[in-house]
Amino acid sequence: RILMSVTEIRSGFTAIKANIQARDPIRTLSILSHPQSLHKVKSSDRCCIIHNLFNFYMDKVFKHCQTEDSYINRKISSIANSFLSIKKKLEQCHNQNKCLCGQESTEKFKQILANYEGLNITSAAIKSLGELDILLDWMEKSR
Amino acid sequence: LGEDALLPSPQNISILSTNMRHFLTWSPVTIQGETVRYSVEFQGEYEREYANESWIPICECSLITATVCNITEDISATVAYNLRVRADIGARRSQWGTLKGFFNRITTSLTPPPMKVIADGYHLLVELKDMGPAFQFCVLYWKKEPYWLMQWKMVKDVSSTVHLDTMEAGHDYCVKAQTYVETINRSSSFSQTQCVRAQGGRSL
Repeated sequence: RILMSVTEIRSGFTAIKANIQARDPIRTLSILSHPQSLHKVKSSDRCCIIHNLFNFYMDKVFKHCQTEDSYINRKISSIANSFLSIKKKLEQCHNQNKCLCGQESTEKFKQILANYEGLNITSAAIKSLGELDILLDWMEKSR
Repeated sequence: LGEDALLPSPQNISILSTNMRHFLTWSPVTIQGETVRYSVEFQGEYEREYANESWIPICECSLITATVCNITEDISATVAYNLRVRADIGARRSQWGTLKGFFNRITTSLTPPPMKVIADGYHLLVELKDMGPAFQFCVLYWKKEPYWLMQWKMVKDVSSTVHLDTMEAGHDYCVKAQTYVETINRSSSFSQTQCVRAQGGRSL
């Protein structure tokens, strides 16, 4: 059912992707893919990265993406609430220690936070939201 | 807004939710000779836990005269939602009336799918109505006699007629179906059984 929620997130994101990415003037930087793509993450580290990234989006991204456009805000709410329902399912794995974090995933997540903190909060949040399809593609491809 | 500007807030706020389509309804606020308008807002679990309990307006239901609002597009996650409505007449505005308790789409009522079974020569076909991207269909079918070997097929794409089986000449075949919504992991009850007969005479 996580996959179905990802499908719902993707349809919500597709509706606002062009608008959000147009608000991101910094083309030469990536939050999720710098210096290495998510696709380099070992499968054993996958759950940990997903768990950390969902917390990242909940704590540091969605709340800083408020816009003047009510439609965009509603779609961001849809995505955020879908993230929350997935996060609660992931929490169950995390609590049962089925979501262990290795050295590599810890480093990868530190890099993502460093990329994020290298920009001002609103720019970093909008860029992270604009890169949501990178996360979704990686989640679906590495199922 | 002055004290006399206060309007009564909408009452009897409730949700009608069937097959993953969700509607907020309320009783009208009646003021003699006045047109009352209503505005609706929602708040998901994310807004309560991460966004300072903020509320989000539904612009299609801002200053409307109807007493129903389609909230399907905004109830797009399996979490608990709060909903509220207020009334306006010009500068006069009511307090918010809030839905009693949360609404979670997991409680939607699922009805058996409309279905049409067709015997096309020796082919057993079924036509199912498209109920939206959230829906799949579990179709059960069996040859009536001499034995009841029940088979089933999970159908996601109903844009065209679904081929279930190749039938034996002259035999009766029966079909029934239910919907399944993966995001809430629930199914409807089964539809009425429909039976058809394959063409030709039975071999003895």
